[in-house]
Amino acid sequence: MSATPVPADLLQRLAGQATVGAWLRAYDAHWEVSQTDDEVRSKLEVLSRFCLVCGKEPDELVAWLFRETPEGPRIRLKRRRRVMALIDEFEREHGGRPAGNVVRSFLIHNGVALSAAPLR
Amino acid sequence: MEFKQVVGRRRSIRYYLPFRPVEREKVQIVLEAARLSSRAVNADFVQAIVVDRDALSEEDRESLKTPTTTAQLDLAPVWIFWLIDPTAPRIGQTSLKQLVDVGALTPSHGWSHAYVDNVVWPQVLQPILADPGTAVLVAAVEAGLAIDQALLAAVDEGLGTQLTALNAANAKRILGIPDHLIPIWIQLLGYPAEDPEAGGQRPRSPFEQIYFEGKYGHPFERDEMVVERLRAEGMIMPEAPYPWRKDEVRALSRMFGLPE
Repeated sequence: MSATPVPADLLQRLAGQATVGAWLRAYDAHWEVSQTDDEVRSKLEVLSRFCLVCGKEPDELVAWLFRETPEGPRIRLKRRRRVMALIDEFEREHGGRPAGNVVRSFLIHNGVALSAAPLR
Repeated sequence: MEFKQVVGRRRSIRYYLPFRPVEREKVQIVLEAARLSSRAVNADFVQAIVVDRDALSEEDRESLKTPTTTAQLDLAPVWIFWLIDPTAPRIGQTSLKQLVDVGALTPSHGWSHAYVDNVVWPQVLQPILADPGTAVLVAAVEAGLAIDQALLAAVDEGLGTQLTALNAANAKRILGIPDHLIPIWIQLLGYPAEDPEAGGQRPRSPFEQIYFEGKYGHPFERDEMVVERLRAEGMIMPEAPYPWRKDEVRALSRMFGLPE
């Protein structure tokens, strides 16, 4: 999944973002697992590469996908579609479906409903 | 399958074998079951279009999805678009008299051609037709009866099935649906890739909390002997989640390359 190593300080910065913490906690809670440091690091590397591609850091990306309304936050559907297309492109060029699914998992556990075309 | 087992084993299936086609005969049986449902005014409140998933372009498939309808659409080989018709009671004057003629609506209950012409048509059906909100409400309920029979027939035929939301405007455009019809659900059909019990009976509110006797708020007392009988006969199934459900979902996700 990895290409050029991602600097440790960048990974540390990503790990400190609220949406990344929320993702990792929600993933562990949902799947009733405890991810190892290596698993987390591998996911953060993928996420960091996607952040470079989309030009936004994790917290910024999630915030960009929502808008505030009097009834609470709503997903911006056009932006969501753009990000879905970007993930498709990202996985073609950076590590295939497993890499794309890391990004999708990050978004899903932050409340952005999306999926991938099943492999069939 | 026994009726109680059909009711008990029905689940909204979200993982299908994408490569296994559904026999045309089984699709017809699903439609036949819907056609025979109970229906007010003996009118066609619901119509359907059967679509082969692979006959749609990728672009069209994508445009039919909503944020809550995703991979299951790509996995299920057959999609039935259910359409409701709020104008269906327009045939009521004729269809009700037909029910009088065949002995369904009888004079012993007050029915006659004159009653249909002078009372039911002008005082009941025409006002419903004149009020779009009521007409849609009536049509939705009637369609639900038919669609539920279609779901149960699919289970009886050993298929997986589910109702899923759709982008109605795009469905109308892609499928050439007339303006007076409203696409309400897509019923997916296919052979389940997940266990047909899909991890067990989904949570339901306690029986006494939603069913009453005599007056609202007075619970209809649930007889545990009946519950036991229904368990034995397969209508009341073990509750979700089965201990292995998350492992099953993870395995399915990985098999189809879906996110976790």
